[in-house]
Amino acid sequence: MTAAPAGTSSDAGVRRLGLVLLLAGILGLAASAELAIEKFRLLEDPLYVPPCTLGGAVDCGSVMTSDQASAFGFPNPFLGLAGFAGVLVAGLAVASGARPGRWFWLVVQAGMAFAVVFVHWLIFQGLYRVGALCPFCIAVWVATIPAFWYVTLHNLQDVAARPSRLGAVARIARENHGIVLTVWLLLVAALLVERFWAPWDSVFA
Amino acid sequence: MVESRRRSGRLASVPTSRNVKVSAGLVALFVVVVAAVAILVGGGDDGSDAPSERASSTTTTATSETSADAATLPPVVTDDPRLLGAPGSSGVTFTEFLDFECEGCRAAYPAVEELRKAYAGRVTFNIRYFPLPGHQNSRPAAIAVEAASQQGKLEEMYRRMFETQAEWGEKRESQAGTFRGFAEDLGLDMKRYDAAVADPATLRRVESDFAAGSALGVQGTPTFFVNERRIDPRSVDDLRNEIDAAIAGS
Repeated sequence: MTAAPAGTSSDAGVRRLGLVLLLAGILGLAASAELAIEKFRLLEDPLYVPPCTLGGAVDCGSVMTSDQASAFGFPNPFLGLAGFAGVLVAGLAVASGARPGRWFWLVVQAGMAFAVVFVHWLIFQGLYRVGALCPFCIAVWVATIPAFWYVTLHNLQDVAARPSRLGAVARIARENHGIVLTVWLLLVAALLVERFWAPWDSVFA
Repeated sequence: MVESRRRSGRLASVPTSRNVKVSAGLVALFVVVVAAVAILVGGGDDGSDAPSERASSTTTTATSETSADAATLPPVVTDDPRLLGAPGSSGVTFTEFLDFECEGCRAAYPAVEELRKAYAGRVTFNIRYFPLPGHQNSRPAAIAVEAASQQGKLEEMYRRMFETQAEWGEKRESQAGTFRGFAEDLGLDMKRYDAAVADPATLRRVESDFAAGSALGVQGTPTFFVNERRIDPRSVDDLRNEIDAAIAGS
């Protein structure tokens, strides 16, 4: 994970942020593409069983046909295809040495903030409303959360330099970036295990 | 990690290794806790909180007693079927166990309609009620369709249910009034309709289908049978192939 120092991001730190974005972009784009393709297949043939339907709670079909799967009136993967392509290109540029200006990062921040809020809404809906899991959706969650986290930490570098209380919080967040991220992902994993305990038992037992 | 530390003098090595170590520790702790709970609770879990209310065909579960003895299995095609349209000449019957509130059934509806068109006059199309307990209004819907069928409007009500599912499905409150409105639209004798809905025999008819389905191993909807054989289609073509094979073999 990116080793962001307490103060200003080092060049290596920014490069690593680029790598995080690049990997998140690749993972997110691949998952979105798969979900979009499966969505088309499902529309072509209502009896089509997506390969990611493994039985138990792991059921792409019921996730993809839910209302939540078209939260804005069109299939969510379209957002992923466009958004993660942007993340991928941003990551590629930054990892290869580009150092974009401040407003670039603010735009990326806005996009990632939208993405992370949307993803958590989807996590909630998937766990407690639809009641089914889809592996490629989880891949999207896993791509979005670290990307959001490290872009945010990068943008907090000015705040972290301040002697204020907020600055102290930002510094602590930057120093413990990996721990915060791990706790975040484990919390999601814990909710998942708690919710789907029984189905998992039956699927993998 | 090492490389980045070396390249940037400002990167204190302590936070990096602490981040990695603590994270690894947390992941390990998580795995241990989950494993421990798995061992402790493991076999005793009855799966009661398995969330599958909206799960589709393959996973929508209804507690079913799996009756293994083929001899005691109830027939898929009974003496008192609910047929869509006229019976076919080939002797092949296509049966769908359905739940009017199930999205998978709604999604399959156009495909089934196409099959009905393609095999009109040759294959008999039979429906059996399988209202899943996870749906608030699936049983009232089945009762409404059964009540309509007593006045010869089975197919009309069946169509109406699926075509309007988005308006009344997934609701917490009773949609019996909505269904009564459908009956009125179809020009049913409302006195007879109301009596049929209230009649316990109508509910029994629905429940007998559900019980038969459970005994036949139906766990979710839609579940299809060609004659007495269950089909687990992975595409609409699978259904066509099965029907074609049954016609060829009859």
